[in-house]
Amino acid sequence: MKPDISVTFLTKKMSSPLVLASGVLGLTADSMKRVLDAGAGAVTTKSFSMEARKGHPCPTILPFENGLLNAVGLSNPGAEEMNKEISKLRNLSKGLIFASIFGKTPEEFGRTAALAAESEPDLIEVNVSCPNVESEFGTPFGASFRDVEAITKIVKHAAGAVPVSIKLTVHCQSLSKMAHVCEESGADAITAINTVGPGMLIDTGVMKPVLANKVGGVSGPAIFPIALKAVWEIAGTVKLPVIATGGVTTTDDALQMIMAGASLVSIGSAVYYKDLDVFSNINAGLLDWMTERKMKNLQEIRGKAHE
Amino acid sequence: MSDKMKTYPVVDVKTHHPDMKSFYFTQIEEQIHPGQFFNLWLPGVDEKPFSVSDVYQGIMEITIKAVGPFTRAFMNVKRGDLIGIRGPFGQGFTLHQHSLLIGGGMGIVPLHYLARLLRAKGFHFEVILGGRSEKDIPFVTEFSEWAPTTFVTEDGSIGYQGLVTQFIKEIIYRSKLSHIYSSGPEGMLIRVMEEAAGNGLDYEISFERYMKCGIGICGQCVVDGSGIRLCKEGPVLNRDEAENVTEWGMTHRNAAGKRENKLS
Ligand SMILES: Cc1cc2nc3c(=O)[nH]c(=O)nc-3n(C[C@H](O)[C@H](O)[C@H](O)COP(=O)(O)OP(=O)(O)OC[C@H]3O[C@@H](n4cnc5c(N)ncnc54)[C@H](O)[C@@H]3O)c2cc1C
Ligand SMILES: Cc1cc2nc3c(=O)[nH]c(=O)nc-3n(C[C@H](O)[C@H](O)[C@H](O)COP(=O)(O)O)c2cc1C
Ligand code: FES
Repeated sequence: MKPDISVTFLTKKMSSPLVLASGVLGLTADSMKRVLDAGAGAVTTKSFSMEARKGHPCPTILPFENGLLNAVGLSNPGAEEMNKEISKLRNLSKGLIFASIFGKTPEEFGRTAALAAESEPDLIEVNVSCPNVESEFGTPFGASFRDVEAITKIVKHAAGAVPVSIKLTVHCQSLSKMAHVCEESGADAITAINTVGPGMLIDTGVMKPVLANKVGGVSGPAIFPIALKAVWEIAGTVKLPVIATGGVTTTDDALQMIMAGASLVSIGSAVYYKDLDVFSNINAGLLDWMTERKMKNLQEIRGKAHE
Repeated sequence: MSDKMKTYPVVDVKTHHPDMKSFYFTQIEEQIHPGQFFNLWLPGVDEKPFSVSDVYQGIMEITIKAVGPFTRAFMNVKRGDLIGIRGPFGQGFTLHQHSLLIGGGMGIVPLHYLARLLRAKGFHFEVILGGRSEKDIPFVTEFSEWAPTTFVTEDGSIGYQGLVTQFIKEIIYRSKLSHIYSSGPEGMLIRVMEEAAGNGLDYEISFERYMKCGIGICGQCVVDGSGIRLCKEGPVLNRDEAENVTEWGMTHRNAAGKRENKLS
């Protein structure tokens, strides 16, 4: 029998375990369709809020030797506009659609989730962990057990039948405790991790920070080991499926995430390093790897590193 | 392509008039194609995309018109100032024999460098340049020297009074031209696409959309229809690519990514 990389996530079948991470190319239906056509099993929208946001001035995204530094500032066209894109995408592709949302208060998370649920995405991913908007929003909610509990409960209630994943940051006291909080508050899945940092880059000519926001989240290969360990810790603590995110660029990275316990593997910055081919290349790489070892499906290696 | 931010000194500035200047830098990359663009960072202000208007003898030129906060601030940039440059980004024009270059306003900028390369190859080409008035048309002298050039302005201050698209058909047939290059306001580009299609001609057109990252990941510059990224697969599109886009002349997206109606 030929190996099969399709997976079942919660109740839904996906052609591939690969997901487009939030914030990369997730703005319009046609753009997300391109990513699904390129081999992703699901796409995550850019995080959206009730109202449109312009984000920070540029530069907002800067490559450095081993990763990207970004402070986009959660620019987005608002929930109403994004719902239209989600509905449009539904008619264009069979791929799964994850709606990423954020808010300024737990109540606003709830209202945005209720709105997002109207477009019937396959998952609502709750961005409690963006490090780029602290001055406006206060410390990221993702650092506080109490905030994550409150947001998870409110969003779960507002989302109705749509399952909910909480997107965590490593910048909290204990990831395993945070994962427990998510599970006990009713989350259906956990996405980990968001960007790390914040970090900074300085131009040695003008001797000033380059990002307009001065500091930004670090992503890409530089954070892979941190993300991998986070996924390993969460998957070892709770039963919830984990959407592993952070620095995945190659087939080997994706395999490591699955062995650490990931159900799905999400890819953001690698679109910069490998362009959209990253999805078909890793799909093909997974198939080759499984064929060599006569494996039938990815379930056989999920969480293997814990044994 | 250098994606990483680095600052370079301005080696010279040329004033076309107080609201339009060319800035010169040492050529930062070996391969720079006409139609490609750089992201320029004015430290402390912002970072915005600009076409390369020329590359000549190791110097590259960027030509900017003041239209808003960033470009107005850029008019104060002087020789020796440090400017952050990333690029060149995107796909540019390819070089063809027997072509017609059709430019409007600041869209003329990338055609200037294209014309230099066509001329260096000894290719035959003609030019139609339009603008509101003579001062809105950069590089009048160079184009006039390099190729048969028809000027068209709304106020008649140089050349004919009217619209550039009126002259396409006549020139194509008179001079047996087979390829169109165009860049300018979108309303003009749509008419160029119609004329080209009507006359069975291939074309390469440079389009503009709001850009942020320049490296194909933020999604800011994607267009409806094909979902391609203008910073990566564009800004120059060929006929097939351009015809698969459904939003020309109707919508574009602002800094938040929200659709706005537009016809410029
Ligand atoms: C590929 C490309 C090449 C360009 N080449 C040139 C050039 O050679 N010379 C030149 O003078 N101008 C060029 N432009 C336009 C230039 O980027 C804008 O004029 C500039 O960004 C305006 O900024 P502002 O703050 O002065 O004005 P604003 O008041 O902010 O905007 C004025 C106009 O510029 C547009 N604009 C603003 N920010 C951006 C952005 N980040 N990306 C795209 N458009 C934007 C706005 O939509 C508006 O139509 C080019 C644009 C693109 C996309
Ligand atoms: C440019 C950029 C924008 C991002 N925007 C968001 C966002 O809006 N919401 C979110 O939850 N995560 C956002 N992220 C974080 C990614 O979804 C992901 O968690 C992180 O980048 C690590 O994965 P990667 O290394 O594969 O990029 C963004 C990342 C980048 C690079
Ligand atoms: S400007 Fe970011 S994808 Fe094109």
